[in-house]
Amino acid sequence: MNLDGRKNVIIVFFFTVGVIYLSRLFFMQVIDDTWKLRAQEIAEKRKEITPPRAIIFDRHDKKVVTNKSYYNLLMCQEEMTEFDTVEFAKLLGWTPQKVKNRFYEIKKGEGRYFNKNIGKYQENYQPQRKYPFIKELTNDEITRIAPHLEKFPGFFEDLTSMRFYPYAGGANIFGYLSETNREEIEADRFYRNGDLIGRAGLERYYEKELRGQKGIKYVVTSALNNAIESYAGGKYDTLAKQGAPLKLGLDIDLQYYGERLMKNKRGCIVAIEPKTGEIIAMVSSPSFDPNLLVGRKNISENYPKLALDPGNPLFPRPLAAEYPPGSIFKLLQSLIGLQEGVITPDTGFPCTKSMVGCHNHPTATDLRKAVQYSCNPYYYYAVKKIIQQGKFKSNFADAEAGLNKWAKYMHAFGLGRELATDISSVRPGLIPDGAYYDKWYGHHTWAFSTIRSIAIGQGEVKVTPLQMANIAALIANRGWFYTPHFVRSIGNKKIVTKNQRHRTLIDAQHFEPVIEGMRRVVNEDGGTGKKAAVKGIVVCGKTGTAQNPHGEDHSIFISFAPMNRPKIAIAVFVENAGFGGTWAAPIASLMIEKYINRKVLDKDKEKYILEANLLHMIAKPKKK
Amino acid sequence: MRKSDSLTQHVDWWLFGIVILMLTMGIANVYSAAYDPDFPSIFDFSQKYGKQIMWVGISLFLGFLVFLIDSDIYRKFAIPIYLFCFSLLILVLFTPPINGARAWLGIGSMGIQPAEFMKIATAIALASYISSVNVKQQNIQTVLIALAIVMVPMVLILLQPDAGTFVVFTSFFFVLYREGITFDPLVLKFVNVIPGIKFKQTWVGSHFIPILFYALFLSIITLLMSKNEYEFIFLPGVLIPGFYGVLSVLILLAVIAYLIFSWFSTRRERGRIILIVVVGWFLSSLLASIVNFSFSSLAQHQKDRIELVLGISDKDEKDGKDYNRNRAMAAVGSGGLFGKGYRQASVASVRSNHVPESETDFIFCPLSEEWGFLGSATIVFLFLFMLVRILIIAERQRSTFNRVYAYSVAMIIFYHFAVNIGMNIGFAPVIGIPLPLFSYGGSSLMSFSIMLFVLIKLDSQRRDVLS
Repeated sequence: MNLDGRKNVIIVFFFTVGVIYLSRLFFMQVIDDTWKLRAQEIAEKRKEITPPRAIIFDRHDKKVVTNKSYYNLLMCQEEMTEFDTVEFAKLLGWTPQKVKNRFYEIKKGEGRYFNKNIGKYQENYQPQRKYPFIKELTNDEITRIAPHLEKFPGFFEDLTSMRFYPYAGGANIFGYLSETNREEIEADRFYRNGDLIGRAGLERYYEKELRGQKGIKYVVTSALNNAIESYAGGKYDTLAKQGAPLKLGLDIDLQYYGERLMKNKRGCIVAIEPKTGEIIAMVSSPSFDPNLLVGRKNISENYPKLALDPGNPLFPRPLAAEYPPGSIFKLLQSLIGLQEGVITPDTGFPCTKSMVGCHNHPTATDLRKAVQYSCNPYYYYAVKKIIQQGKFKSNFADAEAGLNKWAKYMHAFGLGRELATDISSVRPGLIPDGAYYDKWYGHHTWAFSTIRSIAIGQGEVKVTPLQMANIAALIANRGWFYTPHFVRSIGNKKIVTKNQRHRTLIDAQHFEPVIEGMRRVVNEDGGTGKKAAVKGIVVCGKTGTAQNPHGEDHSIFISFAPMNRPKIAIAVFVENAGFGGTWAAPIASLMIEKYINRKVLDKDKEKYILEANLLHMIAKPKKK
Repeated sequence: MRKSDSLTQHVDWWLFGIVILMLTMGIANVYSAAYDPDFPSIFDFSQKYGKQIMWVGISLFLGFLVFLIDSDIYRKFAIPIYLFCFSLLILVLFTPPINGARAWLGIGSMGIQPAEFMKIATAIALASYISSVNVKQQNIQTVLIALAIVMVPMVLILLQPDAGTFVVFTSFFFVLYREGITFDPLVLKFVNVIPGIKFKQTWVGSHFIPILFYALFLSIITLLMSKNEYEFIFLPGVLIPGFYGVLSVLILLAVIAYLIFSWFSTRRERGRIILIVVVGWFLSSLLASIVNFSFSSLAQHQKDRIELVLGISDKDEKDGKDYNRNRAMAAVGSGGLFGKGYRQASVASVRSNHVPESETDFIFCPLSEEWGFLGSATIVFLFLFMLVRILIIAERQRSTFNRVYAYSVAMIIFYHFAVNIGMNIGFAPVIGIPLPLFSYGGSSLMSFSIMLFVLIKLDSQRRDVLS
C-alpha cells in the first residue's frame, strides 16, 4: 500500500476549500450588494435632522411667523428601573392612573402599522426605542420637571421647535401645520412619520420653501438601537438648512386692525397695493388666534371647536366665498360700455324704474352721475347696449355674441377665473357666457331681457372678495393689475416679475370718467358712500348692496386711495349688514386711513365700527 | 543521539514567523473590535485588548519553555500527558456550568478549557501509538485502539457539551487516513461474510474517511443549494435551480480533475484516470440526486429541522434563529473590496453588539468588515500558507511520531480555519470554535501556541531521531 499519494489528497483538500472560500468572499464582499444593504439596515442608520421652518416677515420687516422651542418628554422602557408611579405622576401633575393609561396607550398605539400581507394592524412596540411620553411641554413645565428626571431613569427631555405667531392675527393667511399622513409620506420622500406639513394658507402653498433642507447624519447604532458614534467620522453627513425667510407684502398692523374692526361681523376685507399686486391685508371674519392651532395638543383641542363654529372661521372667505357683486359691478359695465363705444362719458339714461328698481336720486345725465348715484335703470340700458349691439338679425344670436364679448372683458378683469394667487383654496367665481345660458335655457332661446339682472351684479354673477379688491386695484391702475399675492421675495429671490402683469381690454382714457364717478360717490352730495371719506385723502369708491337668499343684503364697498398715485385698493364685504354705504364704506375708510396715515384720527367712526355687532342680522331671513 | 548545538538551530523560521505575524494581527484586531473610547490604551489590562496582549505574552513564554524542554519528553510521556488531560476532562464535568456548558476549569476569569489541551494530548498519544504499530500488519485491534484514543475524549466533550470541539476532533480521522490506518479490517469482516467473496483489501475500506467526508460534504452542499435559484451574469433572466448548479459544478470539477491528473500522468495511465473521473463523477451526481430527491420528499417539519441544523432557515429568521449568522454575514459582506477602515466596523464592533462574540468566535467579522476582501483574502492565504508549511514540515520528518503529530496539528488548524470562516460566510453551521491565534481568549491562544511550538521544537530536533 503506497501512502505517499495520500498527502496529495490532503493538500488538494486544503486548496479546494481555500479556493471556494476565496471565491465566496470575493462574491460576498465585492460583487454582491445584498449584505451591504443588510448592514445598513442593521447598524448604519440615517438620522434626519429637521431644521426649524423658515421665518415669515411682513412688509415692514416684522416677524409675523416664527418658531419657538419646546420640549418632548421621551421614554425608553429598556432603560427604566423600578420607580414610584405615584411620585412620577405628582411630578407631572397627573393622576397615577393617567400615567398607567399613557403607558398602555404607547404600547398599543405607537409604532402600530398596517400589515398589508395579513390585512390587519400589528403592534410594533419596541422596549429599546424612545417614544414621546408627553409631547409639547412648555418651557415652564420642563423647568419644573427636568431637575427631577434623574430619579426616573428611562425618561429624557428632548428639544424641538414649533410655530409661534407673535401677532394674534392672520390665521386665515398663514394656515397651520399638522402631522403628515400616510399618503403624504408615500407621495414625498422628504417626509417621515411625525413630520409636520402645511395644512392651509401660506404654510401649505410654500411648504417646499418653508420646510428647508433636512440634514442627514449617519450613525452607527448598536443592537439596542442606540446611536454610538457617527459613521465614518461624519464624512457623509450633511447639515440641516433652514429655508430662506419669506417676505410678505402684508402689513400685520393693518391686518390685525382689520380683524378688530370685523369683530362681531361676518365677512372680509381684502387690501391690495395696486402698483405691485401685493396683498396688504386679508381679513376673514370671524377669525381666530393662529396660535390655537400650533401643536398636536392644541389642534386636537381647538380644531373641532373651530370646525363646528357656526361662523365657520376655518372657511377662507376672501378666497373661496363667492358672492353676487351687486352695484360695484356697475364700474366694470361702464368701462366695457365705453370701450365698446356703445356709451360715452356724457351718455344719460332716465331712471325709469320700470325694468329694475331704484332708489330716489337726481337723474343721471352722464356716466359720472350714474356711478355717483348708482342708478340701476341707467345700467339696464347701458348693458343692454353692450349685449344687444344689433349686429345680428336674430335677437338671440345678437345677445349670444354680445354676452360672449362681455364675458371676455370680464375674464380679462380676472373674474370667472381663479386668480392664480399664492395661497390655496381660491375659487373662480362665475361669469356666465353664452354656453352657460344655453345649458340653462337652450340655444337661442334667451336674450338680454332674460339675463338682465347681471347688469347690476345680481343673478348668476359671482365674485370672490379677492376679485373685488382686484377690481379696485385695476381701476386704480387705470387698466392693468398684477395677480394679487402675498409673498414679495424668498430670501434674495423676488417672486413677481414684470411679465406677470395683466392688461385689461380697456384703454386707459376710459377710466377717468369712472374714477371721477367713484370720487363723487365718497366726496360729493348724493354719493352713496359718503361714510368712506377720509380727511386729507381723496378716496374713490363704489358701494354695493347684494341681495341674497340668506337674509339681509350683503354690504359691499370697494375703493382705492388716494385718487392719484393710489397706494391702496380695498374691498370690504360685510355679510347681511344691509346697505353698502352703512357698514362696508366706513370700515374701508378706517383701513385706508390706518394704512396711509399709520394712525386713525376719526375716533368716532372707529368707535362706531368697533362697537357694532351685526351678527343678530344674520339669523333673521329677509322676507321676499 | 546527537543533541542540537543550540536551541534555535534548525528552527523552521517560516512557521515561527507566521505564528508571530498572526498573533500580532490578532492583537490589532481584538483592539479594533473591542475598542472602548473610555479606555484608549491598547495596554489597558482591564480591557480585552490588554488581556489579549497578556495572553499572547503568556503563550510566548510557554512556547519559550517548550523550546527549553527536549522534545523527547513527548515521546516518553505521551500516555501520562494524555491521561492527565483526560482526567481534567472528567473533572470539568463536575463543575457548575457556565453559559450552559461545563467547559471551564479554574477560578474566576482565569479559567482554562481542558478540551483545548486535550487536542494536543490526543495528537501526542495518537502519534505515540501509530509510531508503535506496524500499519502493514494492522488488525481490528489496531483500528479500535486508534479510534478509541480519538473517540473517548469526544464522548466526554459531547457531555460538556461542546459541539465545536467535538467536530474538531473528527480531524484526527484524516490523520489516521494519512497514516494508513484503514477501516479495512472492519469492512472486510462484513464483506467477507458474503459467500464467495474473499478480499484482502477493499478500496472503500482504505479510503473510507475521505469518501465519508466527501459524501457528507457533497450532501450538505446539495441541501444548501437545493433551496435556492441562481442567476448567472452571463445568462441573465435564466434562473437555475440550485440542484442543477451542483451538478454543473461537479462536471466542471471532473473536467478540471482530469486536466490536472493527465498533466502529471503518462499516456498509459490516462485511460485509468478517465475511468476514475467518470465513475467518480457518476457516483457524486447519483449521491447529489438521491439527497436532493429524498430532501424534497420530506415533510415540511422534517425539512425545517434539517434546515435549522444547517442554518439555512428562511429569511424571516434573520432576527430569530438565524440571527448570529445573518449579522456575521452582513458584517463580512459589507466590507467591500477595501473595507471600512481600521476601527470603523459598524456591524461587527463589540460596542454595537450586533454580531455576538465578535472578539472571539466571530473575530473574522470585524476583520473582514474593516479590511474588506483584501483583509479577508490575506487571512485565507496566511492560513493556507501555514497549513502547507506544516505539511512540508510533516513530510520531512524521519520519525512516524513527528509526522503524525504534524499532521494532527495541520488538520486541527485546518478544521478551525474552515469551520470558523465557514460560519462567517454561510458555509458552515454556527458552532462556536475560535479562529486560531486570532480569537480573543486565553485557552485557545495558549493551546494553539503550545501545539505549534511543540511542532517547531519536534521539527528542530528531527535530525536527532534515527528511525
